[in-house]
Amino acid sequence: MSVAELKERHMAATETVNTLRDRLKQKRLLLLDTDVAGYARSQGKTPVTFGPTDLVCCRTLQGHTGKVYSLDWTPEKNRIVSASQDGRLIVWNALTSQKTHAIKLPCAWVMTCAFSPSGQSVACGGLDSMCSIFNLNSPTDKDGNLPVSRMLSGHKGYVSSCQYVPDEDTHLITASGDQTCVLWDITTGLRTSVFGGEFQSGHTADVLSVSINGSNSRMFVSGSCDSTARLWDTRVASRAVRTFHGHEGDVNTVKFFPDGNRFGTGSDDGTCRLFDIRTGHQLQEYSQPNSDNEVRHVTSIAFSVSGRLLFAGYTNGDCYVWDTLLAQVVLNLGSLQNSHDGRISCLGLSADGSALCTGSWDTNLKIWAFGGYRKVI
Amino acid sequence: MSFPILGPLLYHGRRPNIPWSPVLGSFLEVMLVVVAVLDMALAEMDHAIRVFGDTCTYARWVLKFEGFDFEKKDMSLEVATVVEDAVEYSFAMEYHGPPITRELPRAVPINVDRIPVAAVVSPTPFSDNLSLPVVQPISATDILSKKLPKDLKLSSSSAELLTVSPTSVIAFDLRNNEVSEGSYSKELGLGTETSVSPSSVNNSLGEREPENCLSNDICALSGELSSDFECCNPNGGFVGRVESSGALGSSDSFEKSREFSGSLSKSRLSSGFKESIDFNESNRTDWESNESVLSVDYLSSRVSSRKFGDGNHESNCDVRRAPVVTFCDIESDDENINEEFSRSEPEVVRAKKEPAIKVRKGACYRCLKGNRFTEKEVCMVCDAKYCSSCVLRAMGSVPEGRKCVTCIGFPIDESKRAYLGKCSRMLKRLLNDLEVRQIMKAEKLCEVNQLPPEYICVNGRPLYHEELIMLQSCSNPPKKLKPGNYWYDKVSGLWGKEGQKPSQIISPHLNVGGPIKSDASNGNTQVYINGREITKVELRMLKLAGVQCAGNPHFWVNEDGSYQEEGQKNTKGYIWGKAGTKLLCAVLSLPVPSKSSYPSGEQATSMNNWSRPDYGEERAIQKLLLIGYSGSGTSTIFKQARILYKDTPFSEDEREHIKLVIQSHVYSYIGILLEGRERFEEESLNELRQNQSCDGSTPAGHLEGNGEETLYSICPRLKAFSDWLLKIMASGTLEAIFPAASREYAPLVEELWSSAAFQATYKRRSELETLPSVASYFLEQGDLKTSKAVEILKPDYKPSDLDILYAEHVTSPNGLSCVDFSFPESAYDDDDADSGDLHDSLLRYQLIRLQAKGFGENCKWLEMFEDARIVIFCVSLNDYDQFAVDGDGNLLNKMMLSKRFFENMVTHPTFDQIDFLLLLNKFDSFEEKIEQVPLSKCDWFDDFHPVMSRNRSNSNNANHPTMGQLGFHYIAVKFKRLFSALTGRKLYVSLLKGLEPNSVDAALKYAREILNWDEERPNFSLSEYSVYSTEASSFSH
Repeated sequence: MSVAELKERHMAATETVNTLRDRLKQKRLLLLDTDVAGYARSQGKTPVTFGPTDLVCCRTLQGHTGKVYSLDWTPEKNRIVSASQDGRLIVWNALTSQKTHAIKLPCAWVMTCAFSPSGQSVACGGLDSMCSIFNLNSPTDKDGNLPVSRMLSGHKGYVSSCQYVPDEDTHLITASGDQTCVLWDITTGLRTSVFGGEFQSGHTADVLSVSINGSNSRMFVSGSCDSTARLWDTRVASRAVRTFHGHEGDVNTVKFFPDGNRFGTGSDDGTCRLFDIRTGHQLQEYSQPNSDNEVRHVTSIAFSVSGRLLFAGYTNGDCYVWDTLLAQVVLNLGSLQNSHDGRISCLGLSADGSALCTGSWDTNLKIWAFGGYRKVI
Repeated sequence: MSFPILGPLLYHGRRPNIPWSPVLGSFLEVMLVVVAVLDMALAEMDHAIRVFGDTCTYARWVLKFEGFDFEKKDMSLEVATVVEDAVEYSFAMEYHGPPITRELPRAVPINVDRIPVAAVVSPTPFSDNLSLPVVQPISATDILSKKLPKDLKLSSSSAELLTVSPTSVIAFDLRNNEVSEGSYSKELGLGTETSVSPSSVNNSLGEREPENCLSNDICALSGELSSDFECCNPNGGFVGRVESSGALGSSDSFEKSREFSGSLSKSRLSSGFKESIDFNESNRTDWESNESVLSVDYLSSRVSSRKFGDGNHESNCDVRRAPVVTFCDIESDDENINEEFSRSEPEVVRAKKEPAIKVRKGACYRCLKGNRFTEKEVCMVCDAKYCSSCVLRAMGSVPEGRKCVTCIGFPIDESKRAYLGKCSRMLKRLLNDLEVRQIMKAEKLCEVNQLPPEYICVNGRPLYHEELIMLQSCSNPPKKLKPGNYWYDKVSGLWGKEGQKPSQIISPHLNVGGPIKSDASNGNTQVYINGREITKVELRMLKLAGVQCAGNPHFWVNEDGSYQEEGQKNTKGYIWGKAGTKLLCAVLSLPVPSKSSYPSGEQATSMNNWSRPDYGEERAIQKLLLIGYSGSGTSTIFKQARILYKDTPFSEDEREHIKLVIQSHVYSYIGILLEGRERFEEESLNELRQNQSCDGSTPAGHLEGNGEETLYSICPRLKAFSDWLLKIMASGTLEAIFPAASREYAPLVEELWSSAAFQATYKRRSELETLPSVASYFLEQGDLKTSKAVEILKPDYKPSDLDILYAEHVTSPNGLSCVDFSFPESAYDDDDADSGDLHDSLLRYQLIRLQAKGFGENCKWLEMFEDARIVIFCVSLNDYDQFAVDGDGNLLNKMMLSKRFFENMVTHPTFDQIDFLLLLNKFDSFEEKIEQVPLSKCDWFDDFHPVMSRNRSNSNNANHPTMGQLGFHYIAVKFKRLFSALTGRKLYVSLLKGLEPNSVDAALKYAREILNWDEERPNFSLSEYSVYSTEASSFSH
């Protein structure tokens, strides 16, 4: 077979694949009988409305000297861990806004951090391609630094995201720039399974985010620079359970819906989408036409406990609260008084759903809580 | 179409979206798989959708949950149970989330009506259950007593008990925010209000006074007043405000404020405040006479607002007692006063901060308990004192050291500067060591807490920020610098308070303040030193030191103590030359030059104990970003930097790791050679056969019996080893197996090396393209007979620095590596070492090496390096005739790939303000190569037509640049043009031989030079600016 002939066949094959993919899409659309917003409206649902003071910033956590890149809440207590470009992890008490730990990292370029389910340790990862675990109870060394209690090394690219498996302090899933996700056993420090990578089923570009299903911790989704999100089963590392197309840019963030049957994504194309993991459908698209044509990417998303609200942080400093049912903007936290000055890089909801924490490139974290009916001048 | 047979393939890891890859083998199979998988997916989905019904289950789920927690808004608790068709998957039954802890404050809706607006409490409740200081009327007691009840009545109508839910985050927070915001602006207003010009009301008195009264807790009377006055302000912005009484008209306000400050001035006198404030005595009497006009309304508003402040703090600390809050606002006064006085107030005076509440002497400002003997921590700004149980709450997360939450962002009280960073016992007890250290560091280093430069006046001119830094960071800074007026003799370094004799000799020649005035030290001796009339004490010292002072001479004294008469050239002697003089100076309490101010020789030692302001430390680390396309030698540069600037370039662990890496590399080199040997053997066998067949006499049996011996044949034992090694290499597990098996196979390698076949292969190594050029470094040493490989493969092999330098892929193969270093002291020996270099040696540099692999089209994490000072981009000159496969699978010239990468980096928004230094690496081998391979091999360089002299034999002399140099210049210009076309800026280029330490050292020093130029640029413009501003200020005076 000559090279030209091979190329020709390759072209033909690609063509076939594309047509099949199109057919798949058509079929999918055919089966999509109702749209969520329409259904909700027909049920007489009115969009959630928030006044400007219904969700207010009640704490500003100051202490980082660099851009905040990531944050995570403890599942139980009201503590937050945040990671910043100043090379530190800070553990905060969200109530008193005091710092309980400030951990100097061996590698300053940290991109993600996570609290363990027990709240005893924190994990972080970044450009050093390692995931470092710090036990918050271990004694500090002579310089006052908390020693690394475990280094999870094995990624061949930066660690972009990490999350503990719910209710297991010993397992952790990381996403990496080497196009893989890895499930780690922290006690041994070894990889339990690698998702993607050598197997041809995985992401074809850097994986930027993971989110583990809260109700079934065997399932997790990952979002990637290949503008897809993939659903994985931790027992089947060889292939992704499902691939979700739709976004037109890098999928920066994925987050499971509280019921575990759907997940939301946020992308460089400026939209958030909601996918159903059982049907593979895209249920909703959340996009707001931007007035002044600037490019703004979704950096991070979070759902309220009920799932009715979706919080999305954008690169231009906006932070929209979406009504997930009707796909309407309820509130823009970025337009409120004393909002962040810089890009919202991360956000997270406390476990009981009563407070939202946002981290920004202006080096601050802010905690927002629901203010109820109140008029404040 | 369906391919049921191929169906199972789906479950063996083949995926639909595999791009066709030639490695996979049969094209058709892949094709079928792809189609089958897609088909399956279709069917699967069809099924899934049928099973799960419509997508609106989601909507139902949400509806069901709506009103659960977050959105109490549409609390339609009716459950949307529109489940028509019995869905077999019942999701969304109930909420299984983690239990809701009550610890997090829940948002309690607060009724608008119940928000505290303004109220005056009836006198009874606070007098008995809160231990508050009782307000004393100032002088007009009778008026007060008459009017007060009326006022209280008036305001009690609007009085209301406020119950702020103690756990309400919102209420608390709002207040905080409002307070901080409101207080800021109000503070400003206050500053101008109190600092009215001397002609009308006392300057700076009003501003400093209240605080001092407070801190001393001396004058209950007016201290009371002032604190009240202050406490309204932070709270002023809280909610709506009510005029305390109708009597507060704007027309009265002026009088009142004068009244107010008048009383303050009195209190100042009584408290015995010593600090010299230019205070107009004559005016004071004026105010005192006005005192009786004091408006009583005003006073009553103070009382109530103070109450409010208390209540405010109560709710802060979650005390379960519902605080009785009254609130009153005097903002109207402030504003009026502002208008009144701002016109006559040209000077900028910093606002001062007062504690929000006023408490009994010695009590904690928050819980109002304790006496003066309980240990307390003091706010550095407003002097509020807190007991151990309150301090953490009152001071919050202490981002700027010990300050109340409301004081964060305000400059500290100057009288407390000495305590900055000195931790109290109480704090040590409350917090752990690490926290204390962090707090103290924050306190010392944070920008707001630094000495405000405008408070320091040198030779009659307030300092600028840069000047203050210069003053503090010089080798011999003034001790215990406090706000005040100083004089400074730039020539000799004499330093003293204005109007006084010199107190110290600091570093000379600092460009701070204005020119020295002749009456700076208020001398009357008519003897001048450097233009300053000296004091009697100094004159006596000079006389005793043996200096001729007859005839009122004008001396010119240098920093080393050498003096000469003005206008004369010869040095007459050294003032401090004699041992006795220093003793004399000590007796007369005059300064003597400290050792380190001697120039030259001792400077190096003084560098070590040079006291730099600590906050400069953070800034001092300069990030150098080292990037380059793979194979451009960035790792070599990185390793060189470690070897050059680190005492222990590689730790034992690293060396052990590197050893293993090198060993497995050597095996792979041997493997490649063995592969080559097989090929060569085959070739020569074929040749042999052809020769034999040509001969025509080829009986089959004879051929076999002959054993097919060629030059490249090896003995069976080695053959077995060779086969095994090749198999392992093919399977790609070489690294996993080899270092461990090294002991076993090392002797075999030695044998192999000495075999003739292997040597013959090695001689033809240039034909083996996969063999890296560094292989020869590791395989041979000196002569071909003794192989370095044998050495390396010994278990006790210790890689030398040079080995590490040559080895590939030893520094963290993935992502990023960085090394902190500073250029060694030897830098001073350089010819061009100037004062800038001295300063420079303390700077820390961080060389950050990034791998090219991770850079995608829109690399997200490159933003993290926006604080890099310079990007060092490395290009291998050798690449111009080499090819590599890019991301899309196209074969491209490596130089072009490098160029593309360069373009990406240069145009990356993160780097649009950052200088680029291009290092053209591997110049040594480039020089050799360009003689053989024309540069035009690369498309980009097709117009390279060097003008070479024909007599190439002596081209090495200086007149005729070599081909290599010409090529380098040509490529450098190419890149420069590209750079300026893309950015419009200038590209710095340097050539480099990565394997030579000196070359790398020079390149990194060049990078440092670029940074220095960069730093000087703003300095130039800055000095221009300061010149202008000096003129402006001199005109205004």
